[in-house]
This record gives sequence, structure tokens and C-alpha cells, in this order.
Amino acid sequence: MSKENNVVLSPAELKEKRRKVIYAILPVISVAMLLGLWLLASHFSTGAFGFPSPADVWDRTVRLFQKPVKKLTLIGHVMVSLKRIGIALLFDWTFGIAFGVLIGWCGKAKAFLNPMFNAFRAVPPLAWIPLVTIWFGTGEFPKILIVIFGSLACIVVNVQAGMSSVDKNYLDVGTIFNASPAQRLFKIAIPSALDAIFAGVRTSTSAAWMVVLAAEMLGADAGVGFLITRGMDSLDMPLVLTGMIAIGIVGSLLAIITQYAERLICPWTRRKKSF
Amino acid sequence: MSVDEKKKVILNLENISQSYVIKDKVKDAVENVSFDVYDNEFLVILGPGHCGKTVLMNIIAGLEKPVGGRVVLDGEQINGSDSRIGMVFQSLNLMPWRTVMANVEFGLEISGMPKKQRREVAQKYIDLVGLHGFENSYPHELSGGMKQRVGIARAYTSNPEILLMDEPFGQLDAQTRYAMEEEVLRIWEKEKRTVIFVTNNIEEAIYLADRIVLLSNCPAQVKQIYDLKDLPRPRETTSPEFLRIRTEISDNTDLAL
Amino acid sequence: MEENQENVKVRVEHLTKYFGDLHVLDDVSFNIKKGEFVCVVGPTGCGKTTFLNLLTKIYQPTKGELYIDGEPADPKKHSLAVVFQEPSSMPWLTVEKNLRFGLEIKKLPKDEIDRRVENMLDLLGLQEFRDRYPHQLSVSTAQRIIIGRAFALQPDLLLMDEPYGQMDIKLRFYLEDEVIRLWKETGTTVVFITHNIEEAVYLAERVLILTNKPAKIKEEVKIDLPRPRNVADPEFIKLRNHITDQIKWW
Repeated sequence: MSKENNVVLSPAELKEKRRKVIYAILPVISVAMLLGLWLLASHFSTGAFGFPSPADVWDRTVRLFQKPVKKLTLIGHVMVSLKRIGIALLFDWTFGIAFGVLIGWCGKAKAFLNPMFNAFRAVPPLAWIPLVTIWFGTGEFPKILIVIFGSLACIVVNVQAGMSSVDKNYLDVGTIFNASPAQRLFKIAIPSALDAIFAGVRTSTSAAWMVVLAAEMLGADAGVGFLITRGMDSLDMPLVLTGMIAIGIVGSLLAIITQYAERLICPWTRRKKSF
Repeated sequence: MSVDEKKKVILNLENISQSYVIKDKVKDAVENVSFDVYDNEFLVILGPGHCGKTVLMNIIAGLEKPVGGRVVLDGEQINGSDSRIGMVFQSLNLMPWRTVMANVEFGLEISGMPKKQRREVAQKYIDLVGLHGFENSYPHELSGGMKQRVGIARAYTSNPEILLMDEPFGQLDAQTRYAMEEEVLRIWEKEKRTVIFVTNNIEEAIYLADRIVLLSNCPAQVKQIYDLKDLPRPRETTSPEFLRIRTEISDNTDLAL
Repeated sequence: MEENQENVKVRVEHLTKYFGDLHVLDDVSFNIKKGEFVCVVGPTGCGKTTFLNLLTKIYQPTKGELYIDGEPADPKKHSLAVVFQEPSSMPWLTVEKNLRFGLEIKKLPKDEIDRRVENMLDLLGLQEFRDRYPHQLSVSTAQRIIIGRAFALQPDLLLMDEPYGQMDIKLRFYLEDEVIRLWKETGTTVVFITHNIEEAVYLAERVLILTNKPAKIKEEVKIDLPRPRNVADPEFIKLRNHITDQIKWW
């Protein structure tokens, strides 16, 4: 029935269709232009220190799978970096969420702990590298510590904001039913702050991924950051680019995964879109 | 039941006053309000504008303390929230992270009732308000009228003696409002409770009420109490008698421009 | 279609709208005379908002067209004013500047703008509020400013989408009398959408009744009662009950 009605398009519908096509094509053009610029750059800067062409980078990537660097293929190096942020995030998400809930929910705790936290937050994570290296050397632990320093604040800030702005309407419902303080916290405040908590999970994940690369570039023998430094040291420009592209891909995958997890765990945030 | 028993006073407000300090100025919201509420009656508090009505509700519900006066329930003064008083809120106090079932169960869960038992109680009231089949929906999937049904079911679960309804249909369109007014009377006839219903809509008040307490505009004071028990239900909003009462009350209401 | 064509201000022909497979509006045609006050009523969820958005050209119709003065409606050529349920004044402008706003955009001469703004402030009785900001006003006063602004534009067509939806009856009667006064004073062509049937019978010269989705025009009711109308008048109640019967779902 409606199919039949859709066959004859009014001028208005034709206009709408044209608009949709334009919006679908624009991103494709953008990606094509990026590739074009890359080709152009590599064409004009030749030689070992020049900009490698897409073909060179592809070859280098394939070779990295066949002939590992330091016994690890590209996947291996990615896994090493992921393991580091995994451990750091595990700490963030337990201690960080608990701490955020504490200072977001309890006014006195906030008044007492906030100055300390703000002082800690004001120092960029990379500034810790010298101290951490002197105290703990260059093993796994100091790297993970740097990642924690770099990503903890994101989650604490988000959780704290969510917990301190719980809608009074929900708390009133708790009061009407005589909810105990623990019930108000666990049955009302924390669930209502879940979307803020998830925003913290997302931002801390991406922050951790950025900081781990910096930490690895300062002395490591595995990880994606190490691959880039290795490429730089051995003037292997395609390897540098391979590392950069891998970082980009893994970073976006992490963003997609956390977003998906949020939709799975908090189905009510999937608001229906109405016209 | 004799006539006298029906007239039993269950709740009285004695000289309730409430003021707030806003930008260093004292603003009176409620001034010296006193009235009695009878057992199992449908009492409507009617007032223009935005002054005092919700405050009065919050005081009865124990969500805020008045600066003067007291609330007496069954002969005892109450302080804070009381399990004998349930509340249907103004708007969207449903918890978006809970399904319809979980929202209705909320009060029972808080009181520690075992899961199986509270499912049964919640299901009974979900069926009563006509939401059978929507147990697993989330609030954002429901229309405005359906959300208010969830709110009503939730308030009933704790089996309160007094049910407070704070402008529950204020956000609904005129027609959905008529539907919900019929619905609330149907539920009330089936599960008789004392209902205190707040509205700014004169037509809604006359359609629902056994008695109407008319408040003045800021600060809220009792202007007059109308007894409509003799107006038979279901009431016809366009009947001459209905319109006569409406005009009478409307003439007596402050214009809250 | 038998009406005198010269008197027709707005002509709506075969207005149809689909959202994908959802058929919202089905072949709606009607005329509005110059200076007429038309109310549109229909059951909840019948597509009144879509109807309004088509008239304001916010949505493009799937089929059909809207003509003003015999030409296809064009926001560049014709002026359409809309008043929504929620007041939508510019919070950074005073009452007076809010009233001037639309007139200045239309690049009217300054003395014409002054004349219209003064006239509107007098009509609304809001001279004393001219230098206030919207947040200092009550919701009803803010809404009166918006309605005044719309009338001051002297638009070809003024659309109102339940501007008094959440107000109490006393206030609503007051504002309804005011809108009638403004309409009579300016001779504007008005389409007023509402859920409230009493309001429709009180205001309109003609009521269009829409059916459930997909919305069609079920009936047109002429309201010939003298003004000011009496809501308890048996004739009034007869019309109100008749329209209610046409759309009642509750």
C-alpha cells in the first residue's frame, strides 16, 4: 500500500533524497582527500627520511607479522600495551569510582579530600615520569603507575559530578518509602549516576590509551609506543607510521567497545527517537 | 457503616505555615492553613498559580518541615515521612533505569519484602491500573498517561491509608486528562483510600472531589471549602449544575496572572 | 470551494504526509478566509503537531501544497507566525525589545515599529513591564508577550499550538478574551490548535475536526454564537457536546 504511494516522489521528497545522498558522499570524499594528500606528500618527499607511501607502510605492516620485532608481531605489541592499560583501568574503575562516589555523595568528605585531589589533578601525568623512574626504575609497575596517574582524574571527576547531581525527585521517592541511607545510595543515587559513571569509563579509557604510549616511548622493550621509538631510532619511517595507524585503530575500537558496553548495561539510556 | 463513621477524621492540618528565604527576602508560601480530612474521602486542594499547593503536599508527606503548625494523623503528630502516607508525584519521578515492574516494586524492595511476594503485590496493582503487558517496558517507552499509571500503582503497593496526588495530570493534554480522571476514580472506587489530590484545574477538581479546599494565590490560605458529596458520579462536565458550580468557584478564585 | 475566491487567504490542497511507512496526514484540503479564526481539534496523537509543522513549512509535505493569496506559501515572501505551548521569548531581550525583534528583522521603518509596539503594549496592558526581562515575568505574562509579538507582525497567517495548555480555567478565560481582542483589533487570520473543546468553541468562527491517524478532516463546524460567548449557554453546550462526540476516545 504505502510502497505504491512512495513511487511518485514530490519535489519535496526529491530534495530530501538529494540531501541524504550529499551527506553520505561528503565523508567518503574527506577520506579520499586524506589518502590523496598522503600520496602527494610521499611523492614529493623521497628518500629514507621522507614521508613513506601508503604502499611502503602496507608492506612494512605485513612484514611485521612475518618477522617480529623483539619476538613480538604487531598484535603482540598491541596486546602488551592493552595489558598495561587493562591493569591501570582495573584500579581506576575500582578505586576511582569508589573515591568519586565518596566525594560526590558525602559533603564533608568532599570538603576534606577535594583540595588534595585538585592538587594531584593539576600536575600533568607526564610530569611524574622522572620521579617515578627514579623510585621504581623502568619495569612494568612504573609504566602502569604513570597510566593510572594519567587516567584516574577523568573517572573521579565524572563520577563525582554524577553523584552530586542526583535528581531530588528520585530521592523524594526514597523518602516516601522510608529508604535507609544505604538504600538511598545503592538503589537510587548510584543507578541514577550510571550514565555519568560510564562517561568516566569512556574518557578514562581513552586517556589511559594516550598516556601508555607516552610512557612506552620513554624506555620500554615492547608495546606500540616502543614500536614507534624503535622506528625512529632505526630510521624506519614506515614502521613509525604502522605504529601510528595501529594506535588510531585500537583507540577507536576501545571507544566503540565502551560505548557498546554502556548501551548493553544501561538500556534505558537508549532513548527512543521520535519526530 | 454508619454516616458518623464515614465522617471520621483521619488527618488534620493545624495552622500550617511555610516561608522561604529567597535572595535575602522572606517569601511566604503557605499561611496558617488548617483543615480536616475525613477517612476514605476524595479531597481536592485547588489553587491558582504556583504557590503553596505542592509545598503543602510535601509537608503532609514529610518531605519538608513547616516553619509553623503541625500535621496530625490518627490523633498523633507526625514528623518526617510516614508509611501510612503514599504519594503520586507531579511528574517524572519514575526511575528511568528501572522497568515498569521494578518501579512499582520499589517501595516493597525498600521494605525488604521477598522477591516472589513483592512480584505478586506489584502485579496486582499493575493490573489494577491497566498496565498488564507493559511490565518489562522502561519509562521512556511509555506515553504520559501510562507513566502516571505507573506512579499510581507504585504509591498503592505500600498499602497507605492516605494517598497524596500532587498535580499528577498537570503535564497531560486535556483529553488524556479526562481519561486519567475517570481512571483514577475507577481505581479509587475499587481500592478505597483517603485521597488528597492537588490541582489548579477547576473542572478536574469538580469532576473528582467529595470536597474541595480552595486556596488563595500567594501565600496560600484556605479561602473556602466546598462540599460536593451530593453531586452524583459519574459527573457530566457540561451539565448545568456542574457549570454552575464551576462558575461559582471560578468567581471566587484569584486570578494568578 | 463555493466561497468567494477573492476572500480566501489560505488554501490547503491535498496535504499528505508519510514518515517512512507511517501515514500521518491523509489528503487534507480546506480554505481559510481573510481574517478568519479557525480552531483545529482532534483526538490525542492524531497528528496535530505534524499538521502544524506542515503549515509552518518546518516539514515538507509528501503531497499537496499550501497557498497564501493564491501563491504557493514561501517563507521568504509570506509571513507566518507561530506561537507554541512553551513561551519562546529571547531571554536576553526586554519585553519591549522582544516585541520589536520580529519587526526589525522584517526591516519595517522605525516609526512604524514604534507605532505597532506602543499599540501592542497598550492592548496587552503591559506598559509597566516594558523594561523587564522574560525571566522576571510569570509564565502567563511571558506567553502574552509572545502572542503580542506574533500579532504585531501582522502575519499572513498566525498559527497557535495550544498556547494555554497548562493554565487554570480562570486564567485561560482571561487570556482567551485577550486573544479575541487582539484578533479583532488586527484582523489577523488565525489557526488555533487545541485539545480543549470548550476552548475551541469559545474562540473559533469555524472548528475543523480531525480524525485519528492518518488524519483527515472529519467535519467542519461553524460557530455562529455572538461574542462574548457564554460557556453555559445551551447552544454553546450543544456544539461542545457534538464536537466531543466526534473525537471522544476516553
